[in-house]
Parts: sequence; structure tokens; C-alpha cells
Amino acid sequence: MSSKYGGYMGKFLDIDLSTGDVREYEVSDRLREEYLGSKGLAARILYDTVPRGADPLGPENVLIVNTGPLVGSGAPCTSRFNVSTKSPLTGGVLSSNCGGNFGMFLKRAGLDGILLRGKASSPTWIRIEDGQVELEDASELWGLDTEQTQEKLPKDTGKMVIGPGGEHAVRYACIISQERAAGRGGAGAVMGSKNVKAITAKGKAKVPVANPEKFQADVKKWIHILKSHPATGEMMPAFGTAAFVNRCNETNTLPTHNFKRGSFEQADAISGETLADTLLTSNFGCTSCVIKCGRRVTVDGKDVKGPEFETLGLLGPNIENADLAKICEWNYKADLMGIDTISLGNTLGFAMELTEKGLMDSPLQFGRTEGISQLIEDIAYRRGLGDDLAEGVRVMSEKYGGKDFAMHAKGMEFASYEPRGAVGHGLGYAISNRGGCHIAGGYMIYLEANGPLTMDPLTTHAKPQLTALMQILLDALSDAGSCQFTAFTAVPKQALALQPSGLLYRILAKSLEAFGPAISVMLRYPQALAIVPPMDLLQHPKAISDLTGMKLTFGKYIMVGQRTYLIERMFNLREGITGAQDTLPRRSLEELQTSDPRSRVPLAKMLPAYYRVRGLDRCGEPTRETLDRLGGACLTDEALPDYNPQAGDGAAGRGGALCPPLSSSQH
Amino acid sequence: MPTVKFFATLRQVAGAREIQLEADNVRDLLDRLSTSYEGRMDRYLKISTVLVNGKNVVHMKGKKTKLKPDDEVSIFPPLGGG
Repeated sequence: MSSKYGGYMGKFLDIDLSTGDVREYEVSDRLREEYLGSKGLAARILYDTVPRGADPLGPENVLIVNTGPLVGSGAPCTSRFNVSTKSPLTGGVLSSNCGGNFGMFLKRAGLDGILLRGKASSPTWIRIEDGQVELEDASELWGLDTEQTQEKLPKDTGKMVIGPGGEHAVRYACIISQERAAGRGGAGAVMGSKNVKAITAKGKAKVPVANPEKFQADVKKWIHILKSHPATGEMMPAFGTAAFVNRCNETNTLPTHNFKRGSFEQADAISGETLADTLLTSNFGCTSCVIKCGRRVTVDGKDVKGPEFETLGLLGPNIENADLAKICEWNYKADLMGIDTISLGNTLGFAMELTEKGLMDSPLQFGRTEGISQLIEDIAYRRGLGDDLAEGVRVMSEKYGGKDFAMHAKGMEFASYEPRGAVGHGLGYAISNRGGCHIAGGYMIYLEANGPLTMDPLTTHAKPQLTALMQILLDALSDAGSCQFTAFTAVPKQALALQPSGLLYRILAKSLEAFGPAISVMLRYPQALAIVPPMDLLQHPKAISDLTGMKLTFGKYIMVGQRTYLIERMFNLREGITGAQDTLPRRSLEELQTSDPRSRVPLAKMLPAYYRVRGLDRCGEPTRETLDRLGGACLTDEALPDYNPQAGDGAAGRGGALCPPLSSSQH
Repeated sequence: MPTVKFFATLRQVAGAREIQLEADNVRDLLDRLSTSYEGRMDRYLKISTVLVNGKNVVHMKGKKTKLKPDDEVSIFPPLGGG
């Protein structure tokens, strides 16, 4: 279905791998207005196409690869694509976002996205050229690593491939495109379960622009803002995401010894500064990127992608490893095998603690690097001990015990931030729809420990409301197809000049704690925000408006983000993932991180306020009013089997006897 | 005397990971750094976050935060991460 809006190619293909049929999946302009694209739109399509209880690795599951309107438009940092599916790691909704250049190539091929359903009868790669699809034999590619696979595919195409990890259904297998990864949640395993080794795309189509002159002016201004901002124009090119290693270490938010502690004595040895001084050969960026945060390092004489902050934290302090060269080597190996380094580092840390406590028999020890490289390969091929570790932390804790220190939420292992040093970030892990993710959880760490303006990291004041607001803004950013790092200019350079250690920042930091009620009102009545944000805090709404021709006020932009969370929530509820799973392991909730009695995540205190600001009932389910307000009422009839709007305060009608009261032991 | 730890570009300007510097409070310390490095740090110091023993000084007394001899002062320019 074509679109009246700019920014869209107007075509979304539905590919049935079982039959080889290719037809168009109809996406209406109303859906584009409601979800923009990428993560939100894919969640809606997922909701509409995946039957309740589908096996994530079965033919009933679908794999959606799509883009947002900004992708391929010339806007900075927008060469992204999204992969959505039902996760084999969590059993719930998954959206995984990736840089590189595939998103841009997909749009050049004339497509906004594709949906894969069914299962190919033999190894297949999908060739997309100018909107036409061919299913090619991939028997010669099957078994190759991600680098070899990409080398054998046609040049001058965008590529996304899986490695042995995806072929062998590692629950956290990723998809690799160039050297970037759609890393989290096991989308690579879903692709492998469908016998799809690779997808390529190419074409000559151009992204239509509704108001070219205005959009070009927006892009020019946006590039200037990104290049002239100290964070995106200077620090990230110089140190990459790795710059956060030392900052987290200083603020007790660097996971150490399987999240037992928040700082590591040898953190500097694996920091962005040390990386820049020793192993870094150059920096690089995705297509259309002006930040260029990517690192390049040498491994075994070969120039390869260097590790990101998340990888450094979880393959470093989390397993008590201070050998930077080893992390670079493991990072490269994990990418070749096609497995997520975040879940990998967590799984290793958990197995080490299980072994330390005598709950598991393995050669793994904190601080011992011998054998890890081989183990990464064994995980990808599910050999020996690797077969256990390929299941991820949650399944391992069901087999070996240790649930109190199994550091995951909803089955997804935590990102590289220790939540007891920033309790709002901990709330984010608990209520994120995809599980223990920093981005989907709202990235509160930036307002609590790592950004230029930080509030008390251990207070609960306004944390629920700010978490919701941050999630909404980041979701909308993803929906548009933008890199999350463009949000680092939200504190403008002019505001930085007011001195982050000075009086004004002291007042602002304290004031943030009183913002809760104001945010609640704003999120309840976002349509009243018929303006762009003051001081151009975010460039996205105006650029999207000029690109698409939609009249996207800041309020409507916020509603896009709200709908994204809501539809994901509805998907999870249909799968039986309820508010009872909005929780954290005991280590985060009850073990004090330091002598400070506040150094644990007081989830029970924050969760009710979070539910209220999100328009959820006390079970964490959307109220009928919320569904009506956000235009999702049509979902409810089929969403939940016991839907009964008369019965209680939640849309699911479970506000009464079936909804247990919150307690500290539960949350 | 307090230990000053430099990060990101500040480390490159300082040419050291950390130094010892006598100072009564944060304002005094920032002034002394400006003088010691002949203004080369100023551009970064004015946009940097200052932590004392891991705690942001905005949650203490800002630039008036007193320093003790065994304090660690960490100075970070605005960063981005993932």
C-alpha cells in the first residue's frame, strides 16, 4: 500500500518461506501516523501476525525487518534497521536495532520492511533487488561465520547475516550487518530457525521528501548541532561508548563479579582512555553518521571492530578480567559466531559464580581468561559446557539454581550498568518489555550517574515518571529510525557552558526530583503540547514533519512513543508475561551494594507510581481508558481471553481477585 | 593532599591519569588546575562534571565542597556511551 507521506517507500513485503509466496503486507497511513515505523510499527505487526503461544523457533513466529522514515533520507545518524520477533530468550516481544548500512539499502530497494513467516525447506538466502525477491540456495553459506558469509555475498548490497550461533539456536544469537549487530534477544536464532542464512538488498529508489527545502535546512542544522556538541562532536569520536567505563566505575555502576559490586579496581585498564592510548587504530561510523563512535582495533594482525562499552563491562569487570586485548579478541570471535556479547558476558559471570558457590562443575573462574575463546565457539556450536551457556542465565538458573544472583529481567540479561548504583535504571530493567535492557528501560543512568546533569542516583523521587518519559522519547526516536546517540545533544552545548558543577546545576539537579507530577500531567495530556520543545532539545519531530509532511507536534511525537510501549505490553500480556514479571533478582532488590542503606533497588516503592504514569492498573495492565486514549481499543477484544471492561480497573478485567497486591518479596 | 583523576580529553591535556594537588575546596582546585595548565584545561573544566569520592558535587555543596587530604576528585567532560 503506497503512502501519501514522504519518508516512506510505501511497500512492505510478506514473504512466506514455507511456500515461497511473496505478497504485499498492507501498512496503512493511519498506522504510520500512530507508530511512525521501525520498533513501534513492527511491534504492531508482530501483534497482528504472531499467534498466542507460538514457539519462538517455530514456523508460526515471524521475523520483521524494517526501517523508520528518517532512514535513507540524508538525516544524520539514521542508517538503522530494526528487527522484531518473539524472542527465544524471553518468550516476549523483541525489538533489536542495528546500525551499518542495511537499512539504507533496504529503502533503496524500494521497501520499508519485510516480514518473514514459515520456514524454508533448506538453507536459503533472500535476495532483494528493486523490490523483487528471490529465494536463493544457501547450502554453501551454511556453517560459515558472519565475516565469511558476507564476503561470499554479492558486493554493493546491504547484508544481514547469521553465524553458527543463529544456526544452532543459541538463545542470544544475533544478526550481523557489516560489523554491527542486532544484538539482543536472539533474533539470529529465529532467523536460523527459518533456515535463512542471509538477506541482501539493493536498488536505485530514492526516499521521497515532502518539503525538500525545509528538510535540507533541518538536516544542515542537525549536523551542525551534532558536530559542535562536546559529547557527540568530540568525546564520542575520540573515546567511543567506551568512555563510560571509567565514569561508571567512579559512580559504582560498573557491574563487577556478576553484579556483586559496582566498581573494579583495574577498570582503567579496559577503559576508553586506555583503548585510545593502546589498541585503537581508528574510529568509524555507520553510513550517514557524523558522530563516528565505532572503534577499530587490531586482533591477530587484522583490523577489526573494537568493543563497545557494554562488551567491555561484561567481558571485563563482570568476570574480573582486566585484559583489554582479550576482550577485543572475544568481541571479534563473538561477532564471527553471531552471538550477543552482553548476554555472553552475563552468562559467563553467572556460570563463574555458580561454580564458585559449588552449584556447577566447570573450569570457569573469575579472573581466569584461559579457555574463554574456545568456549565462545562451543556456545555457538552448542558443544559440551557451551550447550548449557547457550541457554542464557534464566534457563541455567532453572537447571543449576542461583536465581537470587541470576542477573536478568524477563529472561534478558542485564546491560552493563549495576542498578543498585542508580535505582531508576533498576526500575527500567524491571519494566522494560524486552527484559533487562538499558535502552528499552529508559536509560535513566544518564540522568542518575553518567550525564552532565544528574540527580541523586539513590533517590526514588520522580524516578518512575522520568523513566516513563525517557522510555517514550527513546522509543519515538527508534520509531523514526534514528540512532539513540543523537539524543546526547538534549542538553545543549550552551547549557553545558553554565558549568555542570555550578549553582544552576545544583538547583536543576534537585528540581528534577520535584518534576514527577508535571511529567504525569504532560504524559496524560500530550496532545496539549502543540509545540516543538524549547531550545530545540530534540531535532527529530521537526525533521520528521518536514520529511513526511505529517504535522508532528511534540505531543504527537510523545504519543508515538507511548503507543510503542503499549503495543509491546499488550503482546507480552497475551503471552502471559504480566506485571508479576516486572521484577529483578534478589541481589538487586535486597543485597546492599555498599554500606549506604539506600544502595539497593526499592522496586516496590517505584512500581505503583510507574504504572500510574503509564496508565496501567496495579497489575501492570493497560486500563480501558489508556487503550481508548492511545487509539488501541481495537486491540482488547482479541488481546486477552478474560477481557471484561466491567470487572475491574484494568482492561484485562483482572483488577480484582486475580490481581495480587504488590509486596516487597514479590518485587 | 587530594588526588585529582582526569578522564577522556582532560587526561590528554594533563598528560597524566592523576595528580596530587593541594586545594581547600572544589572551586580552589579548579582554579589551581587552570593556573597549573596555563589555561589549556579551561575549555573542558567549565563544561565538566566533578565527582568527589564518586559523588557528584551538585549533590554536595557544589564548588564550595570542602576537600580533605585523602579525597579523590574525578573530572569528566560530557560523554556519550551505549
